[in-house]
Amino acid sequence: MFASYLIGLREGLEATLVVSVLVAFLVKGDRRDRLPLVWAGVVVAVVLSVGFGALLTFTAARLGHQQHELFDAVTSLLATVFVTWMIFWMRRAARSLSGELRTKLNDALQLGPVAVVVMAFLAVAREGLETALLFFASVQGATTSATPLIGISLGLLTAIVIGWGIYKSALKINLTTFFTWTGLLLILVAAGIFKYGVHDLQEANILPGLSTQAFDISGILPADSWWGALISGMFNITPQPTVLETAAWVLYAVPTLILFLRPGSKRRTPSLTTTA
Amino acid sequence: MRTPIVLAAAGLALAALSACSSEPQAGGAGSATSAPAEDGKISVAATDTECKVAVSEVSAGTSTFAITNTGSKITEFYLYAAGDRVMGEVENIVPGLTREVIVELPAGAYEATCKPGMVGNGIRNPLKVSGEHKPLTDDAKLSEAIAGYKRYIKSQSDTLLVKTREFADAVKAGDIDKAKGLYPVARTYWERIEPVAEIFGDLDPAIDAREADLEEGQEWTGYHRIEKDLWVKKDVSKDGPIADKLMADVTTVVGKANSAQLSPVQLANGAKGLLDEVATGKITGEEDIWSHTDLWDFDANLEGSKAAVQALRPVLEERSPDLVKTLDGKFAAAEAALDAHRKGDGWKLHNELSKEELKKLSDAINALAEPISRIAAVVAK
Repeated sequence: MFASYLIGLREGLEATLVVSVLVAFLVKGDRRDRLPLVWAGVVVAVVLSVGFGALLTFTAARLGHQQHELFDAVTSLLATVFVTWMIFWMRRAARSLSGELRTKLNDALQLGPVAVVVMAFLAVAREGLETALLFFASVQGATTSATPLIGISLGLLTAIVIGWGIYKSALKINLTTFFTWTGLLLILVAAGIFKYGVHDLQEANILPGLSTQAFDISGILPADSWWGALISGMFNITPQPTVLETAAWVLYAVPTLILFLRPGSKRRTPSLTTTA
Repeated sequence: MRTPIVLAAAGLALAALSACSSEPQAGGAGSATSAPAEDGKISVAATDTECKVAVSEVSAGTSTFAITNTGSKITEFYLYAAGDRVMGEVENIVPGLTREVIVELPAGAYEATCKPGMVGNGIRNPLKVSGEHKPLTDDAKLSEAIAGYKRYIKSQSDTLLVKTREFADAVKAGDIDKAKGLYPVARTYWERIEPVAEIFGDLDPAIDAREADLEEGQEWTGYHRIEKDLWVKKDVSKDGPIADKLMADVTTVVGKANSAQLSPVQLANGAKGLLDEVATGKITGEEDIWSHTDLWDFDANLEGSKAAVQALRPVLEERSPDLVKTLDGKFAAAEAALDAHRKGDGWKLHNELSKEELKKLSDAINALAEPISRIAAVVAK
């Protein structure tokens, strides 16, 4: 039961984390009008995942191993690009904030409608297919034992609750702090997604070195513990990564962190008397 | 508003992905099956410490592994080629769940691996894949062959159910003469589809085991048990449960046979298998040792074999016209040899044939078996 719960939690977190930050971002930036687009992206991803999962489960349609891994890899790499984009918007937004001048925010945050939809879509579609297939397998097995089905469902629900919690707490904090911290959080998430994409390319036999492990921390990070599930769900940090995916993680995370944290060019804070 | 375009594109991409990988089969690509058939799948029993793969050898082509996790840890299943190249995998197999993975494997050495706890090198089982591999089902003619043969199986198995029901009812009613008359008739339909029935290992012996073949402690059921009571004991008053079980087993086999995924190579091997049956059981008279109705079985095996070959005929004519000519000639010869022993609307009994006549039958079958054994290679080209 607990094992199925953790899987549901992990799969769910991979989607809800990005979505909840995106929603918080839009709400704090006074762009609530964009929210329907987020839900549109999410709903489409869910419907496609479920529909496609049903197709593969209940009909003769098949997805080859390589195609499946490629789908995961491509959506992951695309998600990395979009999340990175979002991170630097945040950075710009954070820099342009002069504490009390909220109106400036909108100019800094021209987040296009397409970008919002695609980002929400990718966040969910990335692991959506695997989650849907897992879900259907547990539904089919529910005749013998409903435990996996209940566990996975509860795990998914918990992930949604955690996402909602992140969103709520994000609303409470000061805007500058919010941008800095969620930015850092998203960098770790994006690095994880990128690493995951590389791992999938290895599993699709497109990149070599699947069996060359960088290190093994399965002793301190058991994949079947709650914290292991949480960390791998949020940041894709796995106990036995390959050398290549670790390199990918470092190559993404280090420059991005440096770019994100470097002091921006000093802008003159517009005084309140200046007419715009 | 460009949103719908993006979503449509995403949808199309997914659809295209599924379209190019859906497997055409009898009944058209992606035809929905009401329930996934349990047949032809390689079961893998995974626990926290074990990984039991049902087979250690499969023939090249597409195999489906069904992994059931009865342990307490989440497990993963990988099929590795040399150098740990992943040929197929399925992750997140939580305790109590069965998940499947379909892999297409060319001949070679592989390792079927479970990873309890999702870490480490896993528990590895060598898996040998042999034979010639071409994704056969891409060939429309082959798909049609399978579809045609499945129609044959359907028509034969429908009648098998009817006749076995009549036979079982006659046995339960204690009507020995009627049951004796129905025995070879019901078996005719059984013997025609036997190669498909044999796929479901444990049912075949329950239906068709001969007394001589019984294992120590195995309960004897099926046609031949009733046969002995009909012809030797001349009393079937205690055979009600046996008749019921026979009916139930036959019903199960028919259900499975009609939902089984067959491959062209299986058809070819089935045709060959039926002839081997004739040579080893029917010519010798061992099959129906008390009723001596071996020639009914002989005829049915020959017909079943011919049906499989005929289903493959369009493919064979394209790839090996000479083989088709040879097959036609040898089938005709074998049928003629058998026809000499017609009697009424049935056949002579085995013990009415002389050694000389049996030798002739045997020669005709052997002459046919040789070209039939070449079909598999042609189909797998």
